[in-house]
Amino acid sequence: MKALILVGGFGTRLRPLTLSFPKPLVDFANKPMILHQIEALKATGVTEVVLAISYQPEVMLNFLKDFESKLGIKITCSQETEPLGTAGPLALARDILADETGEPFFVLNSDVISEYPLKEMIAFHKSHGGEASMLVTKVDEPSKYGVVVTEESTGKVERYVEKPKIFVGNKINAGIYLLNPSVLDRIELKPTSIEKEIFPKIVSENQLYAMVLPGYWMDIGQPKDYITGLRLYLDSLRKKSQSKLASGAHIIGNVLVDDSAKIGEGCLIGPDVAIGPNCVIESGVRLSRCTIMRGVRIKEHACISSSIIGWHSTVGRWARVENMTILGQDVHVCDEIYSNGGVVLPHKEIKASILKPEIVM
Amino acid sequence: MMGMMNTDDHRAVAVIMVGGPTKGTRFRPLSLNIPKPLFPLAGQPMVHHPIFACKRIPNLAQIYLVGFYEQREFALYVSSISNELKVPVKYLKEDKPHGSAGGLYKFRDLIMEDNPSHIFLLNCDVCCSFPLPEMLEAHKRYGGMGTILVIKVSPESADQFGELVADPNTNELLHYTEKPETFVSDRINCGVYVFTPEIFTAIQGVSAQRKDRGRLSLPADFVRLDQDILSPFAGKKQLYTYETMDFWEQIKTPGMSLKCSGLYLSLFRHTSPHLLNQGDGTKSATIIGDVYIHPSAKVHPTAQIGPNVSISANARIGAGARLINCIILDDVEIKENAVVIHSIVGWKCSIGRWSRVQAEGDHKAKLGVTILGESVNVEDEVVVINCIVLPNKTL
Repeated sequence: MKALILVGGFGTRLRPLTLSFPKPLVDFANKPMILHQIEALKATGVTEVVLAISYQPEVMLNFLKDFESKLGIKITCSQETEPLGTAGPLALARDILADETGEPFFVLNSDVISEYPLKEMIAFHKSHGGEASMLVTKVDEPSKYGVVVTEESTGKVERYVEKPKIFVGNKINAGIYLLNPSVLDRIELKPTSIEKEIFPKIVSENQLYAMVLPGYWMDIGQPKDYITGLRLYLDSLRKKSQSKLASGAHIIGNVLVDDSAKIGEGCLIGPDVAIGPNCVIESGVRLSRCTIMRGVRIKEHACISSSIIGWHSTVGRWARVENMTILGQDVHVCDEIYSNGGVVLPHKEIKASILKPEIVM
Repeated sequence: MMGMMNTDDHRAVAVIMVGGPTKGTRFRPLSLNIPKPLFPLAGQPMVHHPIFACKRIPNLAQIYLVGFYEQREFALYVSSISNELKVPVKYLKEDKPHGSAGGLYKFRDLIMEDNPSHIFLLNCDVCCSFPLPEMLEAHKRYGGMGTILVIKVSPESADQFGELVADPNTNELLHYTEKPETFVSDRINCGVYVFTPEIFTAIQGVSAQRKDRGRLSLPADFVRLDQDILSPFAGKKQLYTYETMDFWEQIKTPGMSLKCSGLYLSLFRHTSPHLLNQGDGTKSATIIGDVYIHPSAKVHPTAQIGPNVSISANARIGAGARLINCIILDDVEIKENAVVIHSIVGWKCSIGRWSRVQAEGDHKAKLGVTILGESVNVEDEVVVINCIVLPNKTL
């Protein structure tokens, strides 16, 4: 089977992290975001994944060679020279997706994390025999998304409304599709929106079916949702493979610690913390609801909460970092500094406290 | 009492005006618990610093603290400081405000009991190096009725004080005006004076004039030093000035008390270095800059203290704590890894693990220094910034 992952553009909402790496390579729970999806696809038996990207293919390609050999799955890049929207990239990758087997192919969105019940989705798709299947998830604020109204018993989609102004339903498009190759015939190689132009047509022909996604779903394309997403992910990890989580007197709740990371004495870590490879957490440090990326050093007595600390940064002794502070790559927060929601671009030194949320360039 | 005097007859009495509870409301919430003159700066009560400076006056017979706090509020302090410094200190309670000169006049009989040739008048809420022996020498040379300590300040800030003009050669006071609206001079009155007993005659003169003018003026026994004595006597070869080149600040607000505590700590480095603490993190905590720690306080060796920190009796500072520019009052507990910067932590407060109490550090701004009143409890990991917290609150 084949799959296409819509990677798209600049990832501006995840700056400053995306100033150093393309969004799919930004780590989430100690793994590049896109690796979560590629691994889920591989587990379903997908043999080739196409990444539809519109920028920095060189950085991506290097990484991907690494994954290819480690995972034993073929990964290619399909680069848009002009933005093709959410459907156009499928047409661009037509030759790979529509192969001799005639099997359906997956389409995923790179910003989404969930439990990826892809085997169940294949079974669902076979059973209804329609042209397209999508996963839907229940949310509190559906009007931000594409709302899907289905027939209870079959899951047949009756209406698909993008960002409805009045309440239509609370199940939304989770951005995970399984499509027959015939869908490709509907898409021209030009900027096209799959949600606004393609799906409505398929719905009118009663060919779109929706399956409710069990478990968590999160669009982690922005920092607030990234941090919430980590909590959901680690919750799910506790249920599936608790041994991967850290334990000990200094651990509260769900905490993921890479084997190569070092944690000092008198620390208190958690809940909902991910500590990446080669990190050094010195003694007396308090971490909660945060992501510490590869190579970061957190010095003694510091306290970090609800924040993301970018690769190879350092946080000084007695520093306090909280309230959605995002440090880009190689940022150095001096001793005793307080950051309240500072968003700091790469390679900066923070010598003065940031008392209210602001961007430091 | 002027002219020929045997140096053995030169005796001095010092009077320190300490004010009362209705004055100094700007010092709340700290003054809710303790009279402002007894609030500790650099580990010693505020009034201790001028008292200690008075000890350097040759032939000092007596120190009087004059104010309108209740006797009992000062009784303990006065007897212990008399013992400690081996100089007689007495507290005299004014029954009502008499103005800055009226108070002096009211107790003139007591003051003159020791037959002093010179009388020092100091304000307790002034923070400076009190160069009293030097002022006395200058005063004797000038031969006038009084000598005023003055300091040069920035022209923009001068109008908050009494501005004066002095003759550059003779140092005579030529002109004095209190808080003028337009610029007069950048030299201001520091609130520290030395007088000969003639001052009492001068004050009496003012009172008599008042009585003559009857009901239209202030009460006869309410005499203000600035408006009623310094201004009228300027230019009459009676009053002189002595300029200090050291620091000078007024201690009107808690924020300023933190700054002045730091100034006195740096003064200790010259006058009483044994009062300051040392430490390098091995057997005792790492000390940076000027730090005072009361002998009964316990500070974990992994804590880092300073610069400009004063820690009072029975305080407990936990492992990995960091204190910068702050006053920690009695019985405070600061738990592990907490951070306190530009703050005053009141008596019996509790600061939780990894919590952060700080301010921007502008000593003159209303919220430039964070103040925690008595028994405030800051829970683990809480951040308190630019706040004044009244007593007994839990954050």
